[in-house]
Amino acid sequence: MTGAELKALRGPLLVLVLVLAAAGAAIYYSNVLRGQSQTVLVQQQNQLREARTRMQRSGDEKAIIVQYVDKYRQLENSGFIGDEQRINWLAALRNANERTDLFGINYEIAIQQPYPYAADLNPGQISLKQSLMKLDFRILHEGDLLRFFDALRAQNSGLFHLERCVMRRTEDGGPLRYQPNLTAVCQLAWITATPEAPSGARP
Amino acid sequence: MANKLLLCISANQATAARWRSGRLTDCAVFDNSEAGVAEFRDYAATSGNAPAFVIVDAVEEDYRIETLPHATGSDRAQMIDRKLRQYYRGSPYSAASLIGRDSSKRRDDRFLFSALTNAEMVDPWLAVLTECGLPVGGVYLLPMVTAGLVEALGEKASNLLLVAVQPVGIRLTFFRANAFRLSRLSRSDTDTSARDKAVIDEISNTRLYLHALRAATLDEPVSVVLLDHADELGETTRAIREANLQCTHVGRAALASLLKIDPELLALSPSVLYLQLLGARVPSNNLAPVRVTAGYQRYQTRRQLFIASAAVAVIGIAWSGYNLGDRYALQNRTEDVTRQTARVNADYQQATLQFPSAPTSAENLRKATELADRLRTTEVRPQGFLEVVMRALESSPDITLTELGWQYRKGEFETGTVAAGAANPAPASGAPGGDLRKQSGLITGQVQDFRGDFRKAIASINMLAEHLRKDPAVEDVRVVQLPLDVSPKIALTGSTTDVPSQANTAEFKLVIVLKQPT
Repeated sequence: MTGAELKALRGPLLVLVLVLAAAGAAIYYSNVLRGQSQTVLVQQQNQLREARTRMQRSGDEKAIIVQYVDKYRQLENSGFIGDEQRINWLAALRNANERTDLFGINYEIAIQQPYPYAADLNPGQISLKQSLMKLDFRILHEGDLLRFFDALRAQNSGLFHLERCVMRRTEDGGPLRYQPNLTAVCQLAWITATPEAPSGARP
Repeated sequence: MANKLLLCISANQATAARWRSGRLTDCAVFDNSEAGVAEFRDYAATSGNAPAFVIVDAVEEDYRIETLPHATGSDRAQMIDRKLRQYYRGSPYSAASLIGRDSSKRRDDRFLFSALTNAEMVDPWLAVLTECGLPVGGVYLLPMVTAGLVEALGEKASNLLLVAVQPVGIRLTFFRANAFRLSRLSRSDTDTSARDKAVIDEISNTRLYLHALRAATLDEPVSVVLLDHADELGETTRAIREANLQCTHVGRAALASLLKIDPELLALSPSVLYLQLLGARVPSNNLAPVRVTAGYQRYQTRRQLFIASAAVAVIGIAWSGYNLGDRYALQNRTEDVTRQTARVNADYQQATLQFPSAPTSAENLRKATELADRLRTTEVRPQGFLEVVMRALESSPDITLTELGWQYRKGEFETGTVAAGAANPAPASGAPGGDLRKQSGLITGQVQDFRGDFRKAIASINMLAEHLRKDPAVEDVRVVQLPLDVSPKIALTGSTTDVPSQANTAEFKLVIVLKQPT
C-alpha cells in the first residue's frame, strides 16, 4: 500500500477506530449499568424473600420471645450480654477470695478482643468478645484453686472460661499450719456477647 | 443505492448521466471532439466524487470464447494473463471472464476474452474523469450490459439476435441459451431509405459469421429482437419478417416500461438504454487496467471502512439500547419488588405490635441464650487433669512435684518457663499445634533419695510416665527432661570425680495430653 493510499484511508480508518472505541465504551458502560440494576434487583428480591419469611414466621417469633426473653434479661443482668462489667468482676474476685480464705489476689486484665473460638459456636448476629484476666495468688494446696474458681463462678458476675493455670511449690514453705505452700498463676477469659442489628426488636 | 456517473462513449458522441436512487438523471450528450470533452469536463466537475462507469460502443472490439484447462488461483491468473498478452498485446483494455465449464470429460474452463482495441477512443474521457477526481469503476464494452436486457425481455429462444440501430451503425448481439456469444457493430448506412435493407443484410452476414464460428448453423432458427428506441423501425420489422425470420419489435414505450426508464430520455439518445442497464447492474468484464481503477479501489476501501463504521455504530447503539432497555425493565421490577417489600415489612411491623416487649430480635434472644448455655456446658475445668496426676503419683511415692501446669488451648503445653507461660495469650485460630483445643499440662518433679543413682531415678520417672499412659483419660505422655540425658543426639559431659551421693535430687519434666472429651 502506497503512502497516497494510506493518506486517503487515514480519515475512514480514524472514523472506524473512533466508532469502535465509542461503541465499545457505550456497550461496556451500558452493560455495567445493567449489571448494577441486576444486582440491586437481586438484593431487593432477597430482602423481599426475607421479609416474607419473617412475616410467615412472626407467630414463631412471638413464641421465641416469650420463651427466651426472661433468660436473656438474666444474662444481661449477669453481665454476659452487653458491655463488660469489670467492676462486677473485681467485686466477685474480692468476694471469692474472702469466701475461700485465700491470701489476696493480684490481677491484670488485658484489653477486650474478639473471642477466638466464636466461629465454633455459630453465633449468628451475636458478637462474642473476651477479656483475658491473669490472676496471681497463693494457696495452701491445689484444692484451694478449685474452690476459688467455684466461688468466683458462684458470684454470677459474668461468664468465664479458665484457660491456663500453673502451680508452683514455694521455697519458703515453713512449719506454720496456715502458711501458703503454693503460688498459682492462672489465666481466664471473661466472655461477653453483644447482639448486632436488633432488627425487629421492639423494646 | 450509491450515486454513480455513467458514460457511454461511441465514435461520434458520448452520453453521460447521473445515477441517483436507482434512476438516471441529468442525461447529457457530448460530441466526441475536443469541445465535447471540454463540455464533459464541466459536467464531471459537478459530480462530486461519485464513481464513474464507462461503456464503449465501438467497432474496435474483439470477443473470443476460449477453452482452457481447469485451474484455480494464481495458476488460472497466470494462464489468463498469458492469453490476454497473446491476443491483445497492444491493448490495455482487455479482460477475461469465466462463463462456464466444458461438458467434455476434462471439464475445461470456458472463458470469454474481450478487448477494446482502440484505447485512444476512451483515453481523453478517462483523463477528464481523473482530472475531476472521479474514481473510475470500470470500462466495459456495450454488449456486456445487454445481458440484463435479455433477462428483462424474457425471451426464451435458444438463439437470440438483438439488433439495435445506433447513430454509428447497426449493433447486432447474439445470445445462445441466454448467454452472450458475440457482438458486432456494423457501420452500415442507417438512413431511413436504406436502413431496412442494411439491417436485413447485417442479420444475414451475422448468421453467416455465426455459422463460420460454429456458434449457430444456418439451419437453426434465430429469433431477432429489434430494439427501436425512436419508434421508427416498424417497416424494418416487417421487412425482416418477410425475410422469413422471427422478429420481435420492442418500441420506445415497451423499452421504457421494461427498464423503468423515462421515455423522454430514450428520445435523447439510444445510449440511455445501455446507461440504464449499466446503472442497474455493473457487468463483470471490466477492461480497465489496475492503474485506471486504482482510485476506485481506494474509493471502495474508504466506502467499506465507512460502512464498517456505520455497522459498528449501529451494533453499538443497538446493543447499548438493549442494555439500557433491559436496565429500565430491571429498575421497574426493582421498584415493584421494593414496594412489595415495604408492604410486607409494614404488615410485619403491625404484627410485631402484638409481640411482648423485647430488647432485641427473637433470633438474637434465642441465639444469645443458647450461646450462654453452650459456653457453660463446654467449659473445661482442671479437676480432671489434677485427678489423673494424683492417681499416678499414688503409685510413685518416691516422687514429689515442684510445679504443675495445666491449660485448655490449641496446642500442647509449652516446656519453657512454666510460670511465665501462664500469662501467654491463647494462640489464635490456625496456630501450630492443631486446630482443636485440648487439655495438656506439664509436671515438674523430683525423685527423692536420689543419691546419684541415675538408673534407679530414671526407672522411677519412666514408671510414673507409664502409669500416666495407662490412664484412660490420657492421650499422650512425653518425658521432656530426665536427671541425666543419655540421648545420643546431644553431647554429654561430666566428671568421674563427682561424688554421686552429694546430689540428693533428680529433676524431671513430663508433658501430659488428655483425650478430647466425647
